[in-house]
Amino acid sequence: MAKINIDELLKQMLAAAAKPFKKQWPGAKDYAESEFKKIAESIVFIESQLALGKMTPEQARLHLDVQKNASRTVLLTIEGLGILTVEAAINAALGVIRDTVNTALGFVLL
Amino acid sequence: MRHMISFCKPGLPVRLASLLLVVALAGCASIRLIADYDEQIDKSVSELQRKCETFLTGLERNVGKPEAGHDTNTKFYDEAKVDLSAIRVRAAAISKNEITLKQLDLLADSLDKLEQLHKGGLRREQIKPLRSAFNASFTAILKLELAKKRGESPDK
Repeated sequence: MAKINIDELLKQMLAAAAKPFKKQWPGAKDYAESEFKKIAESIVFIESQLALGKMTPEQARLHLDVQKNASRTVLLTIEGLGILTVEAAINAALGVIRDTVNTALGFVLL
Repeated sequence: MRHMISFCKPGLPVRLASLLLVVALAGCASIRLIADYDEQIDKSVSELQRKCETFLTGLERNVGKPEAGHDTNTKFYDEAKVDLSAIRVRAAAISKNEITLKQLDLLADSLDKLEQLHKGGLRREQIKPLRSAFNASFTAILKLELAKKRGESPDK
């Protein structure tokens, strides 16, 4: 069995992920790299366990699924934090015009 | 209606008018794109993390002994699944909480997979990466929940 190279795995994962991310890639790269590294490390661990006969292919799939779930959970948090940032920006924009608008309209709209 | 007429009078830029209309229709002064912080979810997720950590530590210590077997530990899985279900029900009752719901579903799936692995027999060195993955999940869920406080101190 060929030895898995963690750096090569990571390089391929990052190159593949950069395409769907497109313009958002610079902002997402650091988080994605960190999570892909954990998945790659998990694959290398699984490879060593399989080679030593300490894990079956079915157990290997289960281990990798747990790691993938964790990475997806982390990326979902990044998505949530991004939404909160957008929300804060919209509310800040509305906040600075609040007095002007309410005064002009003669009632509290904002 | 009087207000709408004065709102739409010439002179106000169209984009600003559209934005204000959206806000007026939404009926609120500030926009909420994601659920508010929920203290109960925060506490329950933290408690479940502690329960999982205690379980994995015990498993690590007793691996190879009868007390580390799956059949002797079904209580943990039953309780953890009930806890997670209760957290999910509460999270589902809060609007705009889809991201947290997805995270809780992933955690439930990981818990199922941990039990399947346990049934097949876990080795000591296999527990460490599992613990690390579970803690990464718990940390991510709590990080988002605390961020929903929106500018308040996370310690509050």
